[in-house]
Amino acid sequence: MIESVLRPFSTLGVRFLALLEELGRAATLFAAAFRSLRNAGVWFPNLLPEMARIGVASVPIALFIATFTGIVMSLQASYTLTGAIPVYFVGTLVGKTMILELGPVLTALTLAGRVGANISAELGTMRVTEQVDALETLAYDPLAYLVVPRILAAVLMFPIVVLLAMTIGIASGWVTALQLLDMSSPEFVKGLRLFFDPWDVWFAVIKSVSFGAIVTGVGCYCGLRTEGGAEGVGRSATRTVVVASMLILCLDAFWAAVLL
Amino acid sequence: MDRRREALVGFVVLLGIAVAVVGTIWLQGGWRRSMVELTAASASVGQLVPGASVRFRGVAVGRVEEVRLAPGGDAVLVDLSVDPGLALPENAAVLVAPESLFGDWQAEILNRADFPQGEFLDYPQEGVLPGTALPDFSRLTATADEIARNLTVISERFEIAFTEETALNLKNAIDNIGEISNGLNEMIAQQAERFEDLSRGVNASAEELGAAARSARISFERVDSMIAGFDVGGIMANAEASAENVRALTEDMNASLEEIRSAAATADSAFGRFNALMASAEDGDGSLGRLLGDPALADNAAEAIEQMRALLADIQENPKKYLSLSIF
Repeated sequence: MIESVLRPFSTLGVRFLALLEELGRAATLFAAAFRSLRNAGVWFPNLLPEMARIGVASVPIALFIATFTGIVMSLQASYTLTGAIPVYFVGTLVGKTMILELGPVLTALTLAGRVGANISAELGTMRVTEQVDALETLAYDPLAYLVVPRILAAVLMFPIVVLLAMTIGIASGWVTALQLLDMSSPEFVKGLRLFFDPWDVWFAVIKSVSFGAIVTGVGCYCGLRTEGGAEGVGRSATRTVVVASMLILCLDAFWAAVLL
Repeated sequence: MDRRREALVGFVVLLGIAVAVVGTIWLQGGWRRSMVELTAASASVGQLVPGASVRFRGVAVGRVEEVRLAPGGDAVLVDLSVDPGLALPENAAVLVAPESLFGDWQAEILNRADFPQGEFLDYPQEGVLPGTALPDFSRLTATADEIARNLTVISERFEIAFTEETALNLKNAIDNIGEISNGLNEMIAQQAERFEDLSRGVNASAEELGAAARSARISFERVDSMIAGFDVGGIMANAEASAENVRALTEDMNASLEEIRSAAATADSAFGRFNALMASAEDGDGSLGRLLGDPALADNAAEAIEQMRALLADIQENPKKYLSLSIF
């Protein structure tokens, strides 16, 4: 009787302690990775390849998504802004939305699936095949070799990819407005410039840096914590995408509250 | 292969940075020539923000660079950058106004005389243009809302006050006023006629007075001439004799009046007695009273008189029948 009453509390306590343990492990991992920045000789040679893999290789998918996001934004803006609202507000809406929200967040969510899952699967495979243990045995700093270059590459390349995605998204919205909405370029540009603030771009860059760190950090943590063979690798990849996406949205709200 | 990858990464990074820099500059208004800096002061600036356009005669000639509070906080200073070729108008001022209904504001350079209703702030600093801001749409809508509420209250009160009975009363009042107006018109017309008559009478009187004055003047001239003829003694003697005659006449009249007063007293006494007699007759006292009050008695009296008249006639015809005259 008493045990059945206490069971829910016990379950809640176990889960909460598990969460704290996870957070502690993650904080320990990132602190160790931060300390590994000293081993530049280990991580720096891998930085450029990781930038190419994480950043350059992600540009096409980011631009593809941004293109259609811009098209949809322009069409939906013209659909919404009818009647007394001037049509040049389509440019305002497309520009503001792409720079402040959709450019960084959609790109980050996309890269959480592409980059985060990739890193998690890669490191998870290395973990279950004991390659990470081999590196430790060889006195090779696995964090400096595996984690630091990936996180640094994401921090450096995510803003670049986001900036390109924002540009392409606005451009596609512009073309859509010209071709499908009977707007003129001066009208669209007027709306685009109407409430433009350079701080908006910095806001997007700051968010992108944090998103890059989150996506690769979660990918690395979940990958290095992989257990149970191929099935565990799959679980780690899935978990990476889910956790990274949630953290991206939480960070998005955080930055909006703090910076705007 | 590595070289190619490096180049690719470098290209993408540069491309991203270039896009960000160029896009930001372009969205801020593009590359501009060297601009002239102006500063305007206003009591408030509405929703004017840096980057808003500066217009002159409707043409964009620059942009707002900064909006800041003046030291002390009693004004707002607006820094403008405008085209160096712009010739400022005489008495230049800055009007901050909404550019559209959707929150974007602009600063317009104009001649202060072109907007006389504006309360421009003259900032006590050399080179600072006076400025003013139009009210925000929210204030206008709030004012309009207040006016609408007042109108609603007025219409409700009017609806309460102006019933059908009120309308009828009002109609009657208007009719009455019309009647009063007609009466007043008639009275004014009559008074006008009377005034005309009066004025004619006054004129006639004035003319008569003039004639009397002329007669008096002639009389006075005659008197003067008589005085000048030394006949005053005779006149005075005649006047004294006339006065003596008047005095005697007055005494005779006094005596006559005394006799009249005595006769009136006698008549008054006679009338008093007659009144008493008539009163007792009306009351039925005395023979006359009974005669007046009793018709049968009057008829009997008339019959007795008739019989006496017949008796007298018979005596006159046959005296011996009634009179036996014997001597001794």
